Amino acid sequence: MRLPHSSPSGTSLPRRAGRFLNSRPIDGPSEIDMSNLAPNTAAPTGIEEAAPIVRMIGIEKHFNNVAVLKGVNLDIRPGEVHVLLGENGAGKSTLMKILTGIHEPTGGEIVLDGVSRPLVTPREASEAGISIIYQELSVINELSALENLFVGRLPVKRHLGIPVVDWKLMEAEARSIIGRLGLGGLDLHKPVGEMPIAHRQIIEIAKSLMKNVRVLVMDEPTSSLTSVETERLFALVRQLKAEGTAILFISHKLDEVRDIGDTFSVLKDGVSTGHGHISEYTNDDLVRMMVGRVVKQRFLSEQPIDHASTPVFKVENVTSADRKRVRDVSFEVHHGEVLGFAGLVGSGRTDLMNCLFGAEPRAAGKIVLNGKDITPRNPVDAVKSGMAYLTENRRQTGFTPNFTIEGNIAVTKSVKDAPLRGTWGLVDRKAERVTAEGQRKQLSIRCAGIDQSILELSGGNQQKVLVGKWMSISPSVIIFDEPTRGIDVGAKSQIHEIIRTLASAGKAVIMVSSELPEILAVCDRVAVFRNGRIMDILDGATATEESILSVAMRDGK
Amino acid sequence: MSQRLKLGKLWDIYGTLCILLVIVVLFSALSPTYFTRPENIVQIFLQSSITIMIALGEFFPILIAGIDLSVGSVLALTGMITAQLMVAGFDPTLAVLIGGVGGGLALGAVNGLLVNFTGLHPFIITLGTNAIFRGVTMIISGASPVFGFSYDFVNTVTGFVGFVPVPVIFALSFAVVLWFFTAKTRLGRNIYAVGGNKESAFYSGIDVKLHTLIVFMISGLCAGLAGVLSIARLGAAEPAAGTGFETYAIAAVIIGGTSFFGGKGRIPSVVIGGLIIGTINNGLNILRVPTFYQLVVMGGLIISAVALDRLIARMR
Repeated sequence: MRLPHSSPSGTSLPRRAGRFLNSRPIDGPSEIDMSNLAPNTAAPTGIEEAAPIVRMIGIEKHFNNVAVLKGVNLDIRPGEVHVLLGENGAGKSTLMKILTGIHEPTGGEIVLDGVSRPLVTPREASEAGISIIYQELSVINELSALENLFVGRLPVKRHLGIPVVDWKLMEAEARSIIGRLGLGGLDLHKPVGEMPIAHRQIIEIAKSLMKNVRVLVMDEPTSSLTSVETERLFALVRQLKAEGTAILFISHKLDEVRDIGDTFSVLKDGVSTGHGHISEYTNDDLVRMMVGRVVKQRFLSEQPIDHASTPVFKVENVTSADRKRVRDVSFEVHHGEVLGFAGLVGSGRTDLMNCLFGAEPRAAGKIVLNGKDITPRNPVDAVKSGMAYLTENRRQTGFTPNFTIEGNIAVTKSVKDAPLRGTWGLVDRKAERVTAEGQRKQLSIRCAGIDQSILELSGGNQQKVLVGKWMSISPSVIIFDEPTRGIDVGAKSQIHEIIRTLASAGKAVIMVSSELPEILAVCDRVAVFRNGRIMDILDGATATEESILSVAMRDGK
Repeated sequence: MSQRLKLGKLWDIYGTLCILLVIVVLFSALSPTYFTRPENIVQIFLQSSITIMIALGEFFPILIAGIDLSVGSVLALTGMITAQLMVAGFDPTLAVLIGGVGGGLALGAVNGLLVNFTGLHPFIITLGTNAIFRGVTMIISGASPVFGFSYDFVNTVTGFVGFVPVPVIFALSFAVVLWFFTAKTRLGRNIYAVGGNKESAFYSGIDVKLHTLIVFMISGLCAGLAGVLSIARLGAAEPAAGTGFETYAIAAVIIGGTSFFGGKGRIPSVVIGGLIIGTINNGLNILRVPTFYQLVVMGGLIISAVALDRLIARMR
């Protein structure tokens, strides 16, 4: 199977020989002492080592005298999936931006195809076939798949001397490449905004393939994919790898990293803290390199939950206004319990949460908290009656970008306390500062101070601010929708601990997650959602990824 | 880094003032004898008071990433209603309360309710209501000016307290009230939250529709009060009064550093923005620049002032 060699604008590069070497290289010596991290298998016997396409040696980067990277090494070899690990703020993105030419390094050298240079320009990077797929996809939602693939370089033919867009040529080329990626039936003329994220991502990958990619950087590509979609993506990555493409894979999910990766590098606070073959290290080893400590993996309730008792939170027959996305959902959450919601993306889990919180109109349903009917008509009611809802999308529905940490934390409490739909009264700055400062300490939000803008924080810390915003109203029910999406291992386990602590304090906690390991780690019971309904509620202690998936994908109406 | 940040913050607060000072220095140099006279300074404040009044209202829709294009028509219609009530024999205070305050709030509420119920961008709604309100003004007045209201009213509104004209006191004290409102009340702070991110405000339990309604009512109220000032100044209610005032109001708000994307802006800077517009007008008059040229200069200065602001903001 080959990629089409010529693009209409003629920007393709000749293939390099290295591309088809498909060897398992051995690694150079690690630069930190890892004698305490004993490999659990014997060193593999690498036979030949493909020359790296790119070597980054001793890369340093300062921003306003703050060192972000302090001498980082990275080798990218053809036919290899190299995983870049590290907590948020470790310097991964900066390193990638240096690789793609967006940032200039302050020190170090980059060896590209054997030629050493102090930096690469975006143009050099692009000509060398280095391509990056960002977490926030850069497809243009309003354009069709076809137009996205050819954006900026629409092929042209002449009709009676007038140049017109050659749609036929585009369609043919696009079909062949999209077909190769296993999406043959895709409607190329539909705006990509109407497609699932997994499809948009594949279009993005196709876009890089058309530019003849040799190094494909994927920044947390699976963060919004379901397990099935992730599997499909991995099959694709393996295929590209077999064809000799070098893949640089950034992810926080250790299990999937183990599944897809060959070699790895770990960054911690701008320093390389380890590299090698993934198969030689356990997850605990990797986590230790990333955070310098072992992170607890499973947090189930220590006391047995009394399912005969009166539930803290009770939901009866909730149906969304369209009677489709959420259909007749009932469940209970007991004292000390975390109820998980698993299911495929698009199964209606978030719609259900919106219905519970009054953020989406309902056709029917009753919501009872501690025996009292609180069915909220809108989020104002919900907040006032003691519900909290950490929404799925931090940037879109979570934080207020023009506010400081303090402002973001204080706003909800202010709404809850104030009469007249949360609008009346004066702001008590002193009390708000105390609240915000308290949350900062309790959640150990890493920041310069509570007056810092929330935009300057890392994803994990932003999420903690939002958790703090909801904690500050001491809610009785808390809904966490994808609480750890795109945040690092350290912050993640901290949020899991918070969820557990809230449950043991007698709150009803609901957690929606697409990450099954996370569901299994935190939830006492798991409601499996499909087509707007709860298909089954499994016991968290005995549920497995397989048992959840089999329910989530079970055939039913 | 922190030093640059500090500089940026200082610019946020004092940037507009710096621009005003530059303009004042410029005109003082060009017209050293007349421009700096105390009575001219008072004159500048007086000329700016209506612009400031409207700009104070316009600030709020822009703060929630919207806009109110109907302020000029609201000024005309509320002024017309107030004038007609007075001519019909109403007590001036009552007429101002009904026409200026009540009328302004009601017209603002029309804008706010339309925005909430249709979900259309305020630009479209207020573009429409701008025409509607102007049309209603023409209809109720038969397109001719209304004169002959009480001298007491005119004298009070155009009078002085010491050497300070009443409209100036009026506009500045209203600015202080609104400043307090934005800085210290929950409602004010929530408006900033809505401006920063409507969706996250909604999910935080802020009633976005209620806040949108209030924002447009404030804008209407300010335009209504400006309508009262304007009929007193002219001694007549002109059906065409306030045509194009929205441009000046928006310019004052934007020169005052308010972000068109919402969530960022300060009342004092808006007042200074209004003063900048007034100063430029006054200065060009003193320099005897013909009216048509004034428009050109004014436009150019608006663009330069905002471009300068953004340039400095980017240097952070």
